[in-house]
Amino acid sequence: MPSFLRKGTLLRLLSVGLALVMVSSCAVRTDQITRDPNSVRIAVNNWVGYEASAEVLAYILREEMEYEVQLVRVDEQPSWQALDQGVMDVILENWGHDDLFELYGPEGNGTAVDGGPNGNEGVIGWYVPAYLAEEYPEITTVEGLKENTDLFQTAQTGDSGEFLAGAPGFVSQDQGMINAFDLDLQMVYAGSEAAQITEVRRRAANEEPVLFYFYDPQWFQEEIDLVKVEFPEYYDGCDADPEFVDCDYPVYDLNKIFRAGFVEHDDHAYRFLDNWTWTNSDQNAVARMIADQDLSPPEAAEIWVNENRDIWEEWLPEGYEDRR
Amino acid sequence: MAAMTEPVRATGSGAGGPGNRGGSGGLLRNTWLQALIAVAVLVAGYWVTRALGNPAWAGSFPTGVGDSFMAWLDGVYAWVVANRNDSPLFLYFFNYISVGLGSAVVLINYFLDFLTWAGVTVLGVFAAWRIAGWRVALLVLATFGVFALTGLWNESMTTLSLIITAVFMALLFGIPLGILAGRSDRFYRGLRPVLDFMQIMPAFAYLLPFVLLFGIGNPASAVVTAVYALPPVVRITALGIREVNKGAVEATTSLGSTPWQILTKVQLPLAKRTILLGVNQTIMLAVSMVVIASVIGAGGLGDAIYQALAKINVGQAFQAGLAIVMLAIAMDRVTGAVGHGAHTPRIPEHQRMPLLGGGLALVILVTAVGRLLDLGGWPRDLSIRIDTPINAVNDAVQAAIGPAAAAFGGWTQTTVLGPLNNLLTGSPWWLVVLVAAALGWIFSGWRVGLVSGGSFVAIGLLGVWSNAMDTLSQVLVATVVTIALGVVVGVLMSRSDVFAAILRPVLDFMQTLPPFVYLIPAVALLGLGPVPALAAAVIFALPPVIRLVNDGIRGVPAGTIEAAASQGSTKWQLLTKVELPMAVGSLRLAINQGIILVLSMVVMGALVGAGALGNDVVLGLAQNELGLGIASGLAIVFLGLFLDRVTQGRRAPRA
Repeated sequence: MPSFLRKGTLLRLLSVGLALVMVSSCAVRTDQITRDPNSVRIAVNNWVGYEASAEVLAYILREEMEYEVQLVRVDEQPSWQALDQGVMDVILENWGHDDLFELYGPEGNGTAVDGGPNGNEGVIGWYVPAYLAEEYPEITTVEGLKENTDLFQTAQTGDSGEFLAGAPGFVSQDQGMINAFDLDLQMVYAGSEAAQITEVRRRAANEEPVLFYFYDPQWFQEEIDLVKVEFPEYYDGCDADPEFVDCDYPVYDLNKIFRAGFVEHDDHAYRFLDNWTWTNSDQNAVARMIADQDLSPPEAAEIWVNENRDIWEEWLPEGYEDRR
Repeated sequence: MAAMTEPVRATGSGAGGPGNRGGSGGLLRNTWLQALIAVAVLVAGYWVTRALGNPAWAGSFPTGVGDSFMAWLDGVYAWVVANRNDSPLFLYFFNYISVGLGSAVVLINYFLDFLTWAGVTVLGVFAAWRIAGWRVALLVLATFGVFALTGLWNESMTTLSLIITAVFMALLFGIPLGILAGRSDRFYRGLRPVLDFMQIMPAFAYLLPFVLLFGIGNPASAVVTAVYALPPVVRITALGIREVNKGAVEATTSLGSTPWQILTKVQLPLAKRTILLGVNQTIMLAVSMVVIASVIGAGGLGDAIYQALAKINVGQAFQAGLAIVMLAIAMDRVTGAVGHGAHTPRIPEHQRMPLLGGGLALVILVTAVGRLLDLGGWPRDLSIRIDTPINAVNDAVQAAIGPAAAAFGGWTQTTVLGPLNNLLTGSPWWLVVLVAAALGWIFSGWRVGLVSGGSFVAIGLLGVWSNAMDTLSQVLVATVVTIALGVVVGVLMSRSDVFAAILRPVLDFMQTLPPFVYLIPAVALLGLGPVPALAAAVIFALPPVIRLVNDGIRGVPAGTIEAAASQGSTKWQLLTKVELPMAVGSLRLAINQGIILVLSMVVMGALVGAGALGNDVVLGLAQNELGLGIASGLAIVFLGLFLDRVTQGRRAPRA
């Protein structure tokens, strides 16, 4: 066969054509649109840790299991809608979006399924740089912070201290904590993680004070030493009223979210992703290569995959070789 | 490449205003003095309120109505989510559109992939040469070169496919609408507010509803892009049809032509050049949506920018930004050449078909060879990375002027933005409404006064008063800076052809480089908050203002200037008494564009900490709060309405 009429291209043109024919003949449900069974579609949310997970899984799916993989970069909220609409198969790292699970999970319209923990543990909290904690050791406790909020005054916040909030999509209970612990702080929205990290970097260069929302695992944790402010531990229901939250963030067991149809289909790709779990240090190893050492994400994934065969071979489902 | 999205300014009888009484009025009749008094009243009101300890009757607009409006929208959202897999509205309507659009984008992308990079390059360069001559063909070649050498070939093809689909859709609806608007004044009057709305409403605010209706990824991205890019082609097509010589139309009518014949034989051919200008503007706007569309999974070059920013790799973001700039400029020059009909190689009639056939044969041959060699996209290994040097430059700039810039940022915040923000958010809402109405009345007559007051009441009813006042203070500062700088640079540009020639490509670049690329360096320099957002807004809004001022002054008839000069006017007198007053139409348009573009950056600004309305728009998208996002977006539209109407003066017929 001449190579300019390769099977892949032809098959794709056919499947798109088929979808068009289907559309013109009957009612169309977007979650039923024919899709290439050979292709796995993974949502990639916009932080490097997530990207690391996605690239490693994509690499194994492609190279070892011979799937086509589409990595679709999209914000958190739209990626749930994409599951709902049948154009995405999996979200790899969900940070406690209960509201969305209510909307799309079994209690909602039933298009998303909780895929269980992926092994990563997510810690959200309030952080200060280590240089500041050394100078004012007391600010890493609630009481000490309360007495030193004036440290964080800026041109923008005036008499109150500044609390640098995270990106708008992130899970947040900060205003509730400010209220509950009666802290003289004003939320300043960084607007995006990139802006937030840039600002923290800028201040760290001059060892200026800064108090901000951050999380772990996150590659920036490796660049600047950060200290987490201690709040009373999370207990069930302490975050029920978003205006009054007298506890720290919970530790999230980050979980996977699958498209219901993908689970029902139950093929090798699903079983592989279902089997997958790894640790924060696995993820950070890859994320650091991407963010700090400036490797392209697929290169970073390749290096990790080559060095950690024993870890990922356990994720491979039985009989996956047969589908070749 | 001025984003002339509002060129239609027919002269008409404007509403008469109180200050329009020639030079005979007393001091109080002076427009600026009246405005000053209105502002003084606001300041006094603010201090009185503070002195009284901020009593409840003198605070922000009550949020009750706005809250229930937002809750209602959230209810609509929940309904759609619950029903979108069963409702016939989706099964038989929206889903068809999304599958069709999604497939169109994918098919074009497959086609471009199928051609391989060699085939695409030959096709693009040949077409550009045939349409626009060898200069533009070289530019197109350079553009493909940038795509390839930055290692972003596949991303560029994805983006190109999306733009082709979206522009096609915008033209499909836009040109007929424009023709109707050109033939019927009433239709146009009804359509104009809709077009204004489409342009000022931030795209981020309607991303979520469009994702709901059309589905994530290509379908919603194509619709969002088309909606944003549609207005100029409607406006400019209408203008083109209107400008067709009345005599030609009358002559044809008297010969017994049907309206259809008049349209197709007279109006459309004569308006072709203008319509193509509209097409050109539509393409430019579509290119500028590339980055925003990638938030909902459009992929391509916008995605590459986001990816780079997640790692705060400014150099990498710049690389992708450069590819977008080249794409925009190449498309502008090609469509521009179609409009002018200039620079086309002169080829005798009988050679045209063979030439076209030869070109096609060449494309097919190259494609076949490309596929045999399995070329596909340009190999990433053969790319040149410019991100390291760019990052080095960025770091060096930061080290050199960082401290001074940060101090300047802090100063702007404490002495300008902070006080203005306090004044607007801290004054009683009804006083702000009254002052807004008064300013509208003073500058543009009682109708505009009503519109201004009404806009502010509407903002209050939307439930976002405090944030809207915060945004207004930022927008005011950014607009004043933009227009002041724009007028100064524009005047300088009109004085020197050499300076103009140097400046033009710089302006092209400023206008098409996605703001995301320079937002993060702005934070690194100026510190997080409204100040870097304002700097970015000024950079983005400046080019059209400069161009329009330049065009306006250069358009002043030489005879007039000579006459004034012969009477012994100094250069300064010439400028202030003759040139600027005579260019007032262009200046108004420049102000209008400055305002619209500054407003369009409100949401971008929120991404670097400007907060206020922009942040709520982003929050609405990111946190599933449709109500909040839409209400904040609408408030931005009303701010735009107020600013535009007040500054357009009483001669503007649209008030």
